[in-house]
Amino acid sequence: MLSPVTTLSIDAARPPLLSVTGLTKDFSSGGRLFRAVDDISLQIPQGGVLGIVGESGSGKSTVARLVMRLIEPTAGTILLDGEDLSAKSGESLRLIRRHMQIVFQNPHSALNPRHTIHDAIAEPFLVQTTIRGLELERRVEALLDIVSLPKAFKYRYPHELSGGQKQRICIARAVALEPRLLVLDEPTSALDVSVQAQIITFLQELRDRLNLTYLFISHNLAVVRYLCDRVIVMNQGKMVEEGVTDAIFANPSNSYTRQLIDSIPRLPQRNLVY
Amino acid sequence: MTALLTIQDYRLDIPTFDGALKVLDGIDLALDQGETLGIVGESGCGKTVLARSILGIGPAKGKRVSGSMTFDSVELDHLDEAGWRRIRGVKISMIFQDPMTYLNPLFTIGRQLSDVVVAHKRAKGERLPSRAEQRKRCHALLDQVQIRDFERVVDSYPHQLSGGMRQRVLIAMALAGEPQLLIADEPTTALDVTIQAQILDLLRDLVDRLGLTVVMISHDVGAIAAIARRVAVMYAGVVVEQGMTNDILTQPRHPYTQGLLAALPDIEGGHQVLESIPGTIPNLIHPPSGCRFHPRCPRATEICTAQKPVARNIGADHVVACHHALD
Repeated sequence: MLSPVTTLSIDAARPPLLSVTGLTKDFSSGGRLFRAVDDISLQIPQGGVLGIVGESGSGKSTVARLVMRLIEPTAGTILLDGEDLSAKSGESLRLIRRHMQIVFQNPHSALNPRHTIHDAIAEPFLVQTTIRGLELERRVEALLDIVSLPKAFKYRYPHELSGGQKQRICIARAVALEPRLLVLDEPTSALDVSVQAQIITFLQELRDRLNLTYLFISHNLAVVRYLCDRVIVMNQGKMVEEGVTDAIFANPSNSYTRQLIDSIPRLPQRNLVY
Repeated sequence: MTALLTIQDYRLDIPTFDGALKVLDGIDLALDQGETLGIVGESGCGKTVLARSILGIGPAKGKRVSGSMTFDSVELDHLDEAGWRRIRGVKISMIFQDPMTYLNPLFTIGRQLSDVVVAHKRAKGERLPSRAEQRKRCHALLDQVQIRDFERVVDSYPHQLSGGMRQRVLIAMALAGEPQLLIADEPTTALDVTIQAQILDLLRDLVDRLGLTVVMISHDVGAIAAIARRVAVMYAGVVVEQGMTNDILTQPRHPYTQGLLAALPDIEGGHQVLESIPGTIPNLIHPPSGCRFHPRCPRATEICTAQKPVARNIGADHVVACHHALD
């Protein structure tokens, strides 16, 4: 078992690992411009977990893709550990990509059905490193171990795994190169709640073990409250509220945030006898 | 009072190349007129198969092994197509998870709603309504689901409406035949949380105003708690626990129910420790012997592997199927 969750000391003097300023993205549809992300700024310290919540169409996934440079911003700067991502292209962009990885919402479509689990996990090493042969095998097996799956899984194909197992593979692949920033775009939305609990607990342990920094995108406010230190609420591309998670949930200052929180059906207070 | 819907020892297999999937294993449920029942469970537990079987639209290859379903003194299992036409939409209606896919993109809302209105009149052998009467009926139906801008909506195509509006239209269609029982299969799962709250409000309002009996299926315990007075928890084709929603959510007695609730992060904060249920849901071609939950159950003993637990009363309207129910 892993060590219990510890509070990370966040060094205030260090520059934030991720610093985004004035991020804006326009999409054109039918000749008209649509502003999906409108002047978003955010910072995540090393080891921090920032959540972005919002409803569908709020632009939260677009922020994730912009931060990963999967799409090009219309305006704004993205600094990863002080380095300007938006200025990079070609080889220098490829080199910095190993420090930031993303896990997508739907594990069923994120893995190539014709590749074995071994191939899926080995791919980042083949692209980014010179690790091959026995050492590569050792790494793949170690990663399966990190995500608590048996080594024999490397011979399997994605269709032989459950949704939760596939998402673990996606996480294993994302942390393969020991990135500094992990962007998680709705990583549990396609999963059942008991599996969601496994993945969330696992993400917490992983953060502590590898000192990871998370940008966690979700529409599930309860999950965000559980996992994130700070949270940003987005609505129609704009940031409507930002702050320490508990403070925002306990005392939302924005009316939209309040509406969002009030919309969640409450359960009668549980008396669990664990 | 006799129950409106009674399901007794219902077993359903689906034959596959690898053997029969034992998807429902002895379901017992009873539902009174005006009752709201929630069926909660994770994917693959059989909740949708069960709901669709009530309407005779279960899996095409599904084979009933035993048991019966009775609605308003009608044996549902022996109905022919003509018999089903007197039930579907008239006595029992259903709304589905994804409001995007159940409307025809090529026809206006008014046209599709009118079709349903006319079809019900025809099925009852009544005089078919004129265009003006159809429009009036559509107006009343959309009004019932709290769509106020009738003129705009009735001439819209599905893509011009939001997800929440489309779900309202589907609810209006389901109500067109004035059914006694509405089956709602994950009615809010595809919707945003603020829209979900509106649809849950609407369903509650319909229950109060029309005295509608509702079976709501969801994996979302919160949505179930918002609608259902009673709840049945399903696991791997078995109802493991049922009773009053409030009792079950505050005092779960089956280890699976308790595990499910402990896996939910609490929106109210309070730094709980998330518990997850170890293992994965079983393969239903070769389900575990005895209690189907035993391989994942922290309380399992020898008897659990040998003997299927019989559902037993453990309190006023609280039934649990477990050898070692929690206190």
